[in-house]
Amino acid sequence: MLDATPASDHALMLAVRNGRLEAMGELFERHHGALFGFLFKLLGERTAAEDVAQIVFQRMLKYRHTYREEGHFSAWMYHMARRCAADQARKSARAPAPTDPSTLDSAADAQPAAADLAAARDDRDLLQAALARLEPADREVLLLSRLQELSFAEVADIMECSAGAARVRAHRAMQTLRAHFFQLQQKVAS
Amino acid sequence: MKCEAVQERMMEWMDGRVPPDLANELKAHVDACPGCQAELAATQRFARLLDRPPAVSPTPELRKGVYAMIAEEMAGAPAPARRAEPRPARPAWAWLRLPAVQALAACALVAAGYLAGLRRAPAPTPPTAASAPATQQDVAEIRAQIGQLVGYTLEQQEHASADQRLETVLTTAAEPKPNQNAIDSLITALAMDPSVNVRLSAVQALYAHADQPIVRTAVAVSLPRESSPLVQLAMIDFLTAARDRSAIPVLTKLSTTADDPSVKEAAGRALAQLEPAHF
Repeated sequence: MLDATPASDHALMLAVRNGRLEAMGELFERHHGALFGFLFKLLGERTAAEDVAQIVFQRMLKYRHTYREEGHFSAWMYHMARRCAADQARKSARAPAPTDPSTLDSAADAQPAAADLAAARDDRDLLQAALARLEPADREVLLLSRLQELSFAEVADIMECSAGAARVRAHRAMQTLRAHFFQLQQKVAS
Repeated sequence: MKCEAVQERMMEWMDGRVPPDLANELKAHVDACPGCQAELAATQRFARLLDRPPAVSPTPELRKGVYAMIAEEMAGAPAPARRAEPRPARPAWAWLRLPAVQALAACALVAAGYLAGLRRAPAPTPPTAASAPATQQDVAEIRAQIGQLVGYTLEQQEHASADQRLETVLTTAAEPKPNQNAIDSLITALAMDPSVNVRLSAVQALYAHADQPIVRTAVAVSLPRESSPLVQLAMIDFLTAARDRSAIPVLTKLSTTADDPSVKEAAGRALAQLEPAHF
């Protein structure tokens, strides 16, 4: 029997790097939900989020030799996720675009009718629409800053800026998001 | 501190990610500043909204696709020490072109993945005071999503006794020409069944199909997750008999870290037989 205590993400990724590829399955089980959630909010579309999530795991397998002894798995994964999402946005005509509130019902594919949804879903849809109105870099830094496993220093590293700049940008993005949200809310209500 | 500086730190503060000294400074300012109190309330509301998982969850295809990639990589990857450069890029969806048997391997590995969640679900990160409700809700929702995926199999397990499941495995093994679904069932039993007897019987039944890459990969992936030394020994024997060199990394790890001395020894023996000198 192997170790009783669960291995850390870092230990599992080092194991993958050293040839124990099956350990990637454990990392997938631990992280794919959060990764998908991040990508869905970033890209605004389920299929795109799922495609990119798969590409992220593919790249982690492919570039496993570049994972460093002193690395932090989550930071490495979201660094790849941001790059993969940017590639996807460039390639796809489905890149996030300002959403018309009148089409919010179809913002998420394969969803039941809005009338059947709880009130909380309205906020979700409005939030997604508000996120889509942010500048891509603002959306990225705001969503990254909400990932509890990342420090602002790591968010800054992923965004390739200073921690101070990431902090300021995230704060301003949050204010802009709120403004967009309330604007959309008023449009829907009117 | 000025209001702007306080507000820039609010998200970190409410997440408990600032040093105590700074937290005290921020609190002192907010306690005395109605404007920052309103800002804090708004930031908390939107942070909670942002932290909620989306209404949609990934389809089972994501798991199948990722596990197929792992299986493909395990089947084709040379020993890492010999690889100087990453391999040239493959098309993103190369796994879709795999033979049907590899796609089924993905299904089997999905079962192994479920097993990881069932047997060794990682403990959720302790929530901070400010974000506790949202974090717990997130964990519950994510677990619910996974639960939906594994529900069918769990239901099957709950409604059949170990004897019945064992009988199913033995019946499958006795079929003169078991179809791929039957083999998939054996692999699922090996990866997920809570009974040592059933898992042991599944290993034995899979010998007849050791020529299939799907079967060998599934055994190799299940081996490090297996909790019973008895079943681990059977798996090691299987991989040795199948002469599956893609299992060398798994066996190498077991030969040094297995708790059970007989497993450690068996893994070492298997390695000796699978090393290139024996081919």
